[in-house]
Amino acid sequence: MDKVKGRRILLACVLLLAQALCLSDRVLGVEIGGFVEAAHGLKLGDERAEKNAYNLSELRVQLKGLYLPEALDAVSGEVAWKGEALIDGYEGDTSFYFRELNLSFTPFEFMDLKVGRQILTWGTGDLLFVNDLFPKDYVSFFTGRDDEYLKLPSDALRLWVFTEYADLDLVIIPSFTPNESVRGKRLSFYDGLKGRIIGREDGRTFVEPKNTAENMEFALRVRRTLRSSELEFYFFRGFYKEPRGILDSDREEYFYPRLNVYGASLRGPLLGGIGSIEVGFYDSREDTKGRNGNIENSSVKYLAGYTRELTGDFSVGVQYMVEEMLLYDRYRDSLSAGTPARDEFRHLVTLRLTRLFLSQTLKMELFTFYSPSDRDVYLRPSISYDVTDALGVTAGANIFSGSFDHTEFGQLEGNDNLYLRARYSF
Amino acid sequence: MKKRSVLYGLVLIVCGVLVPLQALALSADEIVNKANLAYYYAGSDGAAKVRMTITDTRGRKRLRELTMLRYDVEDGGRQKFYVYFHRPADVEGMVYMVWKNPERDDDRWLYIPAIDLIKRVSQRDKRSSFAGSNFTYEDVSGRLPGDDVHELIGEDTLDGRETYVLKNIPRDKDLVEFSFYKTWIDKENFLPLKGEYYDKAGRLARIITVEKIENVQDIPTVVKARAKAVEGGETVIEFMDVRYNVGLKERIFSERYLRRPPRRWIR
Repeated sequence: MDKVKGRRILLACVLLLAQALCLSDRVLGVEIGGFVEAAHGLKLGDERAEKNAYNLSELRVQLKGLYLPEALDAVSGEVAWKGEALIDGYEGDTSFYFRELNLSFTPFEFMDLKVGRQILTWGTGDLLFVNDLFPKDYVSFFTGRDDEYLKLPSDALRLWVFTEYADLDLVIIPSFTPNESVRGKRLSFYDGLKGRIIGREDGRTFVEPKNTAENMEFALRVRRTLRSSELEFYFFRGFYKEPRGILDSDREEYFYPRLNVYGASLRGPLLGGIGSIEVGFYDSREDTKGRNGNIENSSVKYLAGYTRELTGDFSVGVQYMVEEMLLYDRYRDSLSAGTPARDEFRHLVTLRLTRLFLSQTLKMELFTFYSPSDRDVYLRPSISYDVTDALGVTAGANIFSGSFDHTEFGQLEGNDNLYLRARYSF
Repeated sequence: MKKRSVLYGLVLIVCGVLVPLQALALSADEIVNKANLAYYYAGSDGAAKVRMTITDTRGRKRLRELTMLRYDVEDGGRQKFYVYFHRPADVEGMVYMVWKNPERDDDRWLYIPAIDLIKRVSQRDKRSSFAGSNFTYEDVSGRLPGDDVHELIGEDTLDGRETYVLKNIPRDKDLVEFSFYKTWIDKENFLPLKGEYYDKAGRLARIITVEKIENVQDIPTVVKARAKAVEGGETVIEFMDVRYNVGLKERIFSERYLRRPPRRWIR
């Protein structure tokens, strides 16, 4: 990016911001808000990724709005958007995009519709996902951006039908969006084909499914309330969000194999807290027999969680997840020599501790992922303080450790980072 | 025949005298129940915009603005609350929903719009601060009359209003931060006008005073109150645009409307 262009963009952002500030809350029936955020993340030493000193350095402006067009009053229509400008000092470029841009309306008393770019979330997990197959950005998550950036938007049509017995929630995603996965630039990772940790020399290419009618993704949820508890059933038809298939190992070409997921969850009050269980059967459609070593085997994910407030300002959440690979013997047989084998059962425990101080203006939090089977751990400590109602600062760290190079968090060892963010909201 | 008439007359006179006497001699429990209904169950539903100005011990001010919708499933019993946050800006659009169940734990949900997340919230400690203010969750949504033993300890005049003074002692001391609290309840409209909370050592720790009452649709309504911590810090709560019996539908208090806030009520 040339400097002049960069300055112009910066100027445009400042003007937009000034405008938003002057315009106050509402103009011409449009509610306006947003924030400006500066973030910097120091890397605590990795030799392999692209830049050694830092992996986050950016200025972000978000402008959001809500418009209720009079013409759509009869169907409670509303247009919502969240536009962002990101001046990314790490990539050395500036980008503009919409995180949300959608129209919601109620065509019938029993039905809601939301069309356009939107963030989609469901399931009972806390930073763990079983039946939520919507796209995620793990690079943002591991490098210290706000938790909300773990979720990537989808261009989708979402339809709800509410009945006396159950609520139905159908999502149609015409064009595939994969997860933003670790690609060796900001973070190094374990390359299964090369058998070692890879950084900026990552030569893999990921082939995405074509935008055809046949490749449309569907996600369905049926929800029923049982007294104080919520029983939900899920179905997903689409693709793995990570490139779990190898197309051509010599050319390091990967692809996103077809995936169906069938699941259920139950969540409700338990022993003074909230308990939940969730299960999902991952049906790897292109390798149902588990014989193809290049494609992920089918699996089952089991998740149990419990959160409880110990005092008004201190809460604890624990989760236990087991991921069982099906047809494990065939996976072992199809494994090429020298490749480290994954376990048949992967166990993962998480613990969230949250403590509030100073009339809830200071928050200290620790989120821990620990896998006894992979023998790796990922710590996410953070401390945030609301200096004023508008200005908040957050400092935190991402710390990875593991006994092996090939495990989920073990491969990130050496990518430890410290970050600092300041956000001014309006 | 005559005798009987006289007898009837006597009975009527006796009843006529006794009934108002009985009304005057309300028991502590009756006063508390009437106060609970007057303050937390006015009308069959209600909508209000709430502004809280929180001043901390160092004099710094913070502002919270929210819209509160209330639906009474039964008078004095189950209730549903829908709380939409307008300010501060970083929580705008967040919704907190409560189904108050007198006979078991309340059900609580929190909707975080930035990630389209609906969280179930456990809340054991109803005495904790509501949104960082000097009011507790129970101050906002009501404390069950049965949770305390009530004692009428006297009468008092506050700003020219005749009040009953009650001492309330918790049945379960472990669940609360106070050893007891005193309330001043208006004899005429049964609104609580003042509350004093005493800590475990018996020292005065927090004072709530009602500063303004208005008649809304002929219902006496607290529109301004102040909670002051003795050791410093206070919160002023103001209820604006209060409306009763607006015809809220019970279905608004559901997961559907966490994602689709009823804009008709939320402005």
